[in-house]
Amino acid sequence: MKRRGRGIASMWYPVGFTVAANPSGAVVKVNEDGTAVVLTGTVETGQGALGVLSQIAAEALGIAPNDIHIVSGDTDTCPMDTGAIASRTTYITGNAIAAAAAEARDTLFEVASQMLGVKTSQLEAKDHKIQVKGFPARSAPIADVALRAHLVNGTPPIGSASWNPPTVPLDPETGQGKPFGTYVYATQIAEIDVDDETGEVEVLRVTASHDCGTAINPMLVEGQIEGGVFMGLGFALQEEILFDKQGRQLNPNLTNYIMPTTLDMPVVESDIVDSYDETGPFGAKAVGEPSLVPTAAAITNAIYDAVGVRITALPATAERVLAAIKAKRAMEQKQIPA
Amino acid sequence: MADDVMERDVSVLEKERVAPVETLRRSDEALRLPAVAPPTALPLEPPLVPQVGEQTRAVGLRAQRPDSRNHGLGLTRYIDDIALPGMLFAKIKRAGVASARIVRIDTSKAEAMPGVKAVLVGSEIPVNSFGPSLQDQPLLAAPIVRHAGDGVAAVAAVTEQIAEAAIDAIEVEYEPLPGVYDAIEALKPDSHKVHGGDTNVYASKIIKRGDVEKGFAQAYRIYEGRYYTPGIEHAPMEPFTSIADWDANGRLTVYASIGRITLARCDMSRTLGIPISRIRVIGTVVGGNFGGKNEIRHEPVLALLAKKAGRPVKGRFTRVEEFVASTIRHAFTMDYKTGVTKDGRLIARQVRMVLDGGAYCSFSETTLGKACILSTGPYEIPNSLAEGYVVYTNKTTAGSMRGFGAPQVCFAYESQMDEIARDLGIDPIEIRVRNMFREGSISSTGQVLHSVKVKESLENAVKKFGWEARS
Repeated sequence: MKRRGRGIASMWYPVGFTVAANPSGAVVKVNEDGTAVVLTGTVETGQGALGVLSQIAAEALGIAPNDIHIVSGDTDTCPMDTGAIASRTTYITGNAIAAAAAEARDTLFEVASQMLGVKTSQLEAKDHKIQVKGFPARSAPIADVALRAHLVNGTPPIGSASWNPPTVPLDPETGQGKPFGTYVYATQIAEIDVDDETGEVEVLRVTASHDCGTAINPMLVEGQIEGGVFMGLGFALQEEILFDKQGRQLNPNLTNYIMPTTLDMPVVESDIVDSYDETGPFGAKAVGEPSLVPTAAAITNAIYDAVGVRITALPATAERVLAAIKAKRAMEQKQIPA
Repeated sequence: MADDVMERDVSVLEKERVAPVETLRRSDEALRLPAVAPPTALPLEPPLVPQVGEQTRAVGLRAQRPDSRNHGLGLTRYIDDIALPGMLFAKIKRAGVASARIVRIDTSKAEAMPGVKAVLVGSEIPVNSFGPSLQDQPLLAAPIVRHAGDGVAAVAAVTEQIAEAAIDAIEVEYEPLPGVYDAIEALKPDSHKVHGGDTNVYASKIIKRGDVEKGFAQAYRIYEGRYYTPGIEHAPMEPFTSIADWDANGRLTVYASIGRITLARCDMSRTLGIPISRIRVIGTVVGGNFGGKNEIRHEPVLALLAKKAGRPVKGRFTRVEEFVASTIRHAFTMDYKTGVTKDGRLIARQVRMVLDGGAYCSFSETTLGKACILSTGPYEIPNSLAEGYVVYTNKTTAGSMRGFGAPQVCFAYESQMDEIARDLGIDPIEIRVRNMFREGSISSTGQVLHSVKVKESLENAVKKFGWEARS
């Protein structure tokens, strides 16, 4: 008989390396027509990082993301970067790009202040214009300002910056210190069916609420959450590398190493918590790794809710769940006085 | 069975003679027929990067990714779509035994094979060790093999099939050594020491706050549990692939699907003994990373083969190699002991964890550190003590993988939280709210936390799910 259960799990997760320096450098060059090129040493690993980074650069320069071209992943042309690891790209590379873009923007402000006859401190970059704060009608198109910077003033708007989260080393005896710049938080709830005759677990839906600071691109955040739930599902129910007694893997192929497919995917209801972190670029933190962290516990807690057995060793395969159900029944029968 | 999987498939050409559809499909793959996307008129109209609005703000937009059209049309060039003129193909011979000393390697038959352009063994590598924290991992084992996926020799040939046949022709004689295949076993004083010395423990961590003994003494109830999570594989769609190419000035260009090109360049400089300025690393679009592509793997071997052969060399892991010769997620054994008050407040938690590090360090130190720090969960616990150890075993190397230890400890602390809530008869939502971090809470390392949103995430999830308290 199928029994329904629900389980919940919360988590916290840090952004960037543990104490160790993990800097990112960035260069932003504003072209003669007001579009821009960003140089970064990070690499697109499929998560959409370059999209997020172009949105950060665009926001800082007051132009649209499609005005930005990102050059990445080349040690000859790009500044040093610690790379696509530790959920650090948006937060750390993003901060470096925001700072580099602000530097290039300052050059535009210098030029525009002469054109508009105001102090640079009164200017802002918005909607493809450099405009006076509070008086958007008094403005110059960013393309005109950029061209003038290049060809009249002789000050090409180029900014470069690097950023590394401030940390305090951990005391070797007690581990006390400030290992990370910031943390993100999340809660996931799973609803599942357990077949108490076969032990098979079917995950019906997962509600995933994640704090990632400002969502630079909510669509990509949702993509990460769905991907994370998928990985968490495999971790919870299916995936395990098996070794023989001589330390050799028994299932090193996708036939015998079972992992979820799209057909195993539950409905994912993702939610982005309203949040702003003042240390991140435009308030952003991270979402990459954390999206997988609470899934397994939410699922195994739901298994307990459904059939009353506690799975303490992953993965919760049908065999393991059934064995636990049988052991529980045997225990209950023993307790009935003869 | 293990013997079977460690050996490569039957020769493709042999199989083709019988040629059922399935083997034909596989032979296509092996013969490297390029997968060509249907012709597309370029540039596309409307423009390749769609307009997402002229008005800022740019932040918060559900903007299309700049690479989405290329992905959607199958036009993205991954590393396997890159072929340089005259490029050779490399294969690495895997040990297939987990703990042994190489007594003799005979490469003469392989070298004599037509089409074989270069053969390499570990003793020819200038600095045959790498690793992000401890440089304990050889590029090709020499002379000690510490896990079954260790490479022992490499070949570059004009086709992948010839390279495959050539590594089969390399004869290796092993002297078996004792081994240790379980993390708890490896802690014992009389266990085999994977890297010599007097212990297999190569990193440990303590995170201590308050006084756990005092906390346990004050507790209304104490809960204890052991939790285990296994080693798992990243399983990216794209296996490790790199190309090494030298120019006439002795400058090396490496194309690699790797997420950390800055570190990769340093590691290549160190292992090859050439200045950083003579190396260019081009990170191609990565076809799935999940933490598995954060360090070099075979790139210096390819570079040395390319140098010997005088031609560019591409190396591409098979799916089996992706499992046995890359890194995996650490298997964790975790003992949790938690003291609570009558109203469900966590007042003391002691955690002891042992990580199976496999044969080499890789990102074990980082994984252990994060796991220990995060082991309290997102809860204010005045007294906590986490101790962690990571040990060598003669198994596949464990390294970085999405979450760095966090999914493992979260499974433990949230399983135990559920157990505590049920035992005390407190709603699982309520018990979490009572203990959760708030703005300004102090973490396990004494860090004052800001932008804490765990309670909000819980409230949102409860609302969205439609969680109703049961009486």
